Amino acid sequence: MLRASCQLLSQPGVSAVKTGSTNFALEFVRWRRKPRWLPVAKSKKFRVPERKKQTEEERVELLRLHNIYKTQLRSVRQYLREETVRQQETSTIDHIVFTPEQEEAAFQRCLEENAAWNATIAAEREVRLKREREEKKAYVQERLEAALIREEERKEQANEKVRREKELAKTFISRENLDVAIETALANPVDYNFSIDLGGNIYRGRGTLPGGSEPPAEAQQQQKQAASN
Amino acid sequence: MSLSPASGIGRFYKHSAKIIRFVRLGCTNRPFYHIVVMERRKNQHQPVIEQVGTYDPLPNEHNERLVALNTERIRYWLGKGAHMSTPAAELLGISGILPIHPRTYMTAWRNRQAANADQQRQENAEGVATQ
Repeated sequence: MLRASCQLLSQPGVSAVKTGSTNFALEFVRWRRKPRWLPVAKSKKFRVPERKKQTEEERVELLRLHNIYKTQLRSVRQYLREETVRQQETSTIDHIVFTPEQEEAAFQRCLEENAAWNATIAAEREVRLKREREEKKAYVQERLEAALIREEERKEQANEKVRREKELAKTFISRENLDVAIETALANPVDYNFSIDLGGNIYRGRGTLPGGSEPPAEAQQQQKQAASN
Repeated sequence: MSLSPASGIGRFYKHSAKIIRFVRLGCTNRPFYHIVVMERRKNQHQPVIEQVGTYDPLPNEHNERLVALNTERIRYWLGKGAHMSTPAAELLGISGILPIHPRTYMTAWRNRQAANADQQRQENAEGVATQ
């Protein structure tokens, strides 16, 4: 069994065994020590612990003080013991000395006191609740007004949107003016092509030459054909 | 079970030796003590009979070390013959319930000696520097 414990000890991470308190929640790994049955370490075998230094003068003084202290403490203890006995004799904590009538009277007194406290607290509560109700009312009113204003703004925005859309609808292409629109588009071909040189100059048109001159006739022809197709 | 209530759930025999002593709570590098009454033979982390105070040994921002004592119960337990650990006796002595413990005087004069020695050393060092 002993050997088994030692083997366990040599394993790292078995803190419960190391502290020697398996059944206890507090585990002080800091103050763990080797088990009682292990001998003194070889390196510590011949170490003689140094005695605390105490001069003769100090020893005598401490002896004197301790004698005084013990005498004083004895008398204080005597006093406290008597006090405790006295209190036990005069105390009515653990035995009943009231008659039923007295007990009833005491209970009534407590009841009255309790009622008085309840009354004062109720008054305070009333005031507080009233104030809170009013605050709540004001808050709700405010929120409602804000909601109304918000709704109005929203409606206005919607109206604005509708108006804008209506205005735009005038230029829409419908079945009636489809042919006209096609004619117009064919008659006015738009050329978005452009080229740009190193100087940053822009030449609009698909076939425009760097000098700014018109494109050659063939190119124009081709362009037209492309547009008509 | 790590914490027991301050009212105490420790079971005890009527005539067993009781002791007023500290229980170290807090954590690493932050000690905090409960002053408790418990059976003398028990480990400090076992349930106590009653907690009669607290002691915070680290000075706070006003350089105070706070102690709370339930003097009435301490008197009661001392009257019942409870023992005291030395630190508890020192604390009760300083708080004025009991006579001052000799160890308090000892600590004081040792501190004084250390302070005097320190001052002496400083003066010597200054004297050497001026020469």
